[in-house]
Amino acid sequence: MDDMLSEFLTETNESIDEVDVELVQLEQDPNNPELLANIFRLVHTIKGTCGFLGLPRLEKVAHSGENILGKIRDGVLEVSPEIVTLILEALDQIKVLLAELEANQVEPEGNDQELIIRLDAAADGALPGAAASEPEPEPEPEVAAEPERELKSGEVSLDELERIFNETAGPLDSGEPAEETASEPEPEPEPEPEPAPVVAEQPKAAPPAPKAAASDEGKQKTPESSVANSTIRVNVELLENLMTTVSELVLTRNQLMQLLRVQGNQDSDFAVPLQRLSHVTTDLQEAVMKTRMQPIGNAWAKLPRIIRDLAKDMGKKINLEMIGAETELDRQVLELIKDPLTHMIRNSADHGLEDTPGRIAAGKSETGRVILEAFHEGGHIIVQIRDDGAGVNIERVKQKVLSNGLATEAELEAMTDQQIVRFIFKAGFSTAEKVTSVSGRGVGMDVVRTNIEKIGGTVDVSSVTGKGSIFTIKIPLTLAIVSALIVGCGGERFAMPQISVVELVRASGDSEHRIEKLNDTSVLRLRNRLLPLVNLREILELESVAANYEYGGEETSSGANIVTNGETAEGSTGPELATEDGVEVQAAVETRRDEESFIMVSQVGAYQFGIIVDRVFDTEEIVVKPVSPLLRDIAMFSGNTILGDGSVIMILDPNGIATKIGDTAMPDDDDDAEKVAAGSGRDDNTALLIFRAGNTEPKAVPLALVDRLEDFEVTTIEESNGQMVVQYRGRLMPLINVEGAVGIKEKGRQPVLVFTDQDRSMGLVVDEIVDIVESKLSLELESPDVGFIGSAIIDEQATGVLDVPHYLKKAYGDWFGRRGASKSLDTSKKPVSVLLLAENQFLRNLIGSYLNGIGFNTREASSLNEANELKEAGEKYDAVLVDISLDMSGTEVPHVLSEDGSWSDTVFIALTSDASVEEIDRAAVSGYSHCVEKGDRDALRDVLTDSLSEGSVAA
Amino acid sequence: MNDPMNSLNEAVQSAKEEDNLYLTVKVGDQPFGIPVQCVHDVSKAQKITKVPLAPPEVAGALNLRGRIVTVINVGKKLGLRNSGSDADQIYMYVVIEHEGELYSLMVDSVGDVMSPSPQSFEQNPSNMEPGWRDVSAGVYRLDGELLVLLDIQRFFGGISKVMAA
Repeated sequence: MDDMLSEFLTETNESIDEVDVELVQLEQDPNNPELLANIFRLVHTIKGTCGFLGLPRLEKVAHSGENILGKIRDGVLEVSPEIVTLILEALDQIKVLLAELEANQVEPEGNDQELIIRLDAAADGALPGAAASEPEPEPEPEVAAEPERELKSGEVSLDELERIFNETAGPLDSGEPAEETASEPEPEPEPEPEPAPVVAEQPKAAPPAPKAAASDEGKQKTPESSVANSTIRVNVELLENLMTTVSELVLTRNQLMQLLRVQGNQDSDFAVPLQRLSHVTTDLQEAVMKTRMQPIGNAWAKLPRIIRDLAKDMGKKINLEMIGAETELDRQVLELIKDPLTHMIRNSADHGLEDTPGRIAAGKSETGRVILEAFHEGGHIIVQIRDDGAGVNIERVKQKVLSNGLATEAELEAMTDQQIVRFIFKAGFSTAEKVTSVSGRGVGMDVVRTNIEKIGGTVDVSSVTGKGSIFTIKIPLTLAIVSALIVGCGGERFAMPQISVVELVRASGDSEHRIEKLNDTSVLRLRNRLLPLVNLREILELESVAANYEYGGEETSSGANIVTNGETAEGSTGPELATEDGVEVQAAVETRRDEESFIMVSQVGAYQFGIIVDRVFDTEEIVVKPVSPLLRDIAMFSGNTILGDGSVIMILDPNGIATKIGDTAMPDDDDDAEKVAAGSGRDDNTALLIFRAGNTEPKAVPLALVDRLEDFEVTTIEESNGQMVVQYRGRLMPLINVEGAVGIKEKGRQPVLVFTDQDRSMGLVVDEIVDIVESKLSLELESPDVGFIGSAIIDEQATGVLDVPHYLKKAYGDWFGRRGASKSLDTSKKPVSVLLLAENQFLRNLIGSYLNGIGFNTREASSLNEANELKEAGEKYDAVLVDISLDMSGTEVPHVLSEDGSWSDTVFIALTSDASVEEIDRAAVSGYSHCVEKGDRDALRDVLTDSLSEGSVAA
Repeated sequence: MNDPMNSLNEAVQSAKEEDNLYLTVKVGDQPFGIPVQCVHDVSKAQKITKVPLAPPEVAGALNLRGRIVTVINVGKKLGLRNSGSDADQIYMYVVIEHEGELYSLMVDSVGDVMSPSPQSFEQNPSNMEPGWRDVSAGVYRLDGELLVLLDIQRFFGGISKVMAA
């Protein structure tokens, strides 16, 4: 992108964010002239720059907005919520235009006349609530503006700015203004020898210069950015490189320190200079780390606006207080907490705070308070979100916990209120009685929790009924450095992020913890639960080594290779680390391999499993680096790093390992289901293709199953081995008659429905394609005729519904078998059994025959009772497919069926008629691991094979 | 660290300015030429961390002054049986840059930087093994031996293909 354009976009986006915040402040404090002046200045700057860059559409919107602001400043208009809303609307439009500009590098077509008319009308005092005292016809009221205060050196007065903007019409003039902003870091523009033909290629530096001056001037009024004048813009990549270089320096320093220690000569001449080098390195490292830091306020900038809009929508009065916006944290972390924070703030405002009558009834002030506070605490950032609302409703949480089967009544009895409140972070939990546009979709808090945990943070809640709630988020200062457990397995060392390790268990033949085998799978009894185990050596296909294998270290002993956290993190000499490792090696010689091993109990989402490793060394602070593109496909590693001893080590990815084990009930799977079902927003109706064949009775087939509609010249249809075929896309395609129909036409063109799967096609000969209709498919009559599932009423006509699998099998006997094989579902080894629970006969037939066809063992049930009977009879199924539009409410099914535990391993998959977000949420809340749209057979097949084949292979 | 190394690296650096210069390396008994422009660094034996589940040609990863470099076992890649499988052998590492990432080619030895005369260049012989033809950009007829020119682009392209399979 053009340098100047990208600079403009960055600057303008920042300005807009600032205006956003300040407008909301202004609404509360309408008589603050400084605030107003700053808003005016920012909008004015945007307008001026747009004009300069030749962006007329943006300029017009900004200009109209500025007009209103000008009149407010001149006292012609008064600040009112309506006016603020209108200006915010203008800002939103500018944002939209900017986004388009960023994407396409040109201003989008169209105009904003409607908005501009409203803005202009408001400027003329035509808005209710605006005190229209003698609307002066002042086209450019800002020209007369006096600067609000003394100008500092290097700053530009508004008059000058105005002049600059007026003078920027010709590209050759643009050199001039920048000279007046002498203190700007930008280079002085070089006058272009030839007039630039395109506006965007005008000399650099001129537009950002005055703008930067203006925004600096503005920023000085906000306390947290009082240093703005002494800052420069640096490319993030440069900082990253700097960080890498410093990491390298730290490693070299560590190696030197280690050399010195190994020599054991503390009086060496090198000792003192090395000590000095060490300190300087540490200082440098800290300084570089600081350059990546940004005030958390950057992540908060949008919140006042969100709260304001929310308050307006919901008719609440909300006051958002932000404390500690200057608290700094790593920019990467900052990016990652933005969304969770926004969600939590919305949540507090929406659910936490009562509505106005509710507050009055509770004897509180009308205006609810939401307080956002950030502060440092021991290497972490604490962010608290407090509200003075009603607090979490314990009773409602309890009900929800019970109805979702998350805990039993007895368990709840034993819990403190605090523990019960924490249930709100469980997957699929929402106490919101009605879904609002804001929150209450049931995926809120657990997503927040997952996101925060992903960056190594924690989130907690405490609540007092009637008084309010406090959410506390604890996040690490930086992601670049994580604490990791160094383990050894099969002769290699690996790092495991400590955040994913719940506990370490030492297992040996004679101790309390013993690895037990179920056929070929290992499990561990841990506090009366069976913990699935996976051996790292097996999943990484490592060779087994003797227990006394010495890990790491080329010259030095393995013990000396292990460097403490202290060394990298604090940079001090650190204590000479005892050769703990070496000692262990000696001890381990006596025990045979497999008799003693260590188990890292890990947690991914709500799923716990154990990873067996040979050895556990130490914890170390590591700098995570991405793996080379050649190795990126290996899901077992999330990155690699260089240890203090200079050796490279791979970082294990608990998510990848969990997937390998084949857990199907991971909460993350909800996302997958969402993905599978996303993109289709159809209603309850199914699209059906209506055609005639044989007789006059209309026949129907779900459109989703049909690949193409073709018609072939009759003469091109040939016969081979008694089978009609036609050349289609370079291949022979078999043509099949609909049962009961006689054959192809004598002349003319023959319509054919083409069904395709992978590289094979089949054509179904029909007489006439009638129509495509959207209709509810409910089978009225089962059909005695082969080739039809039954009859349904479509468009008030009895219509035969085609049994597509029947014809596919007729064309290629092995159609489905082949497909099953290609999807690598080894059905011969272990037939996967599926229970299909659907009231609708048609659905059962359609899906049932499809599933049977692709190698699943399918059993059908039409009601929950029927399913229950099967369960009572001791039947087992790998998966239960449930049509969740079942009358008895399919949402209860997983709960009812898995209640007594005998079907606890069964995967519940919801079939919906439309995979809308609400449906997916509803399914997720009810305990379904996947949600698939009824008509989407590919998604269904993928979900079934993915969730089941992995399970059966790894088990 | 050691002078011969430094002088070699210097030679590589100074030679970068010119075209048609190749760093010669030996894999098994076969000399290969690597365009000097691609060469980042030449280093001696280092500790390599094995990467489980990696493609067979990937010998592991090593630490090159704070950067993690993927090591490619050239002998394995070229199917040379007498190279790349002996654990005790001391290898040399030629670090090259490919698409912004550093890779280290594990070779048996590193020779001189040379500029063979263009007249001695020849296209790949028609009977060259397909595995070799994929990575060879041609052959120089030198005195007593043939120098196979490594085509770095295709060399890595081949490894990615293996990955995908």
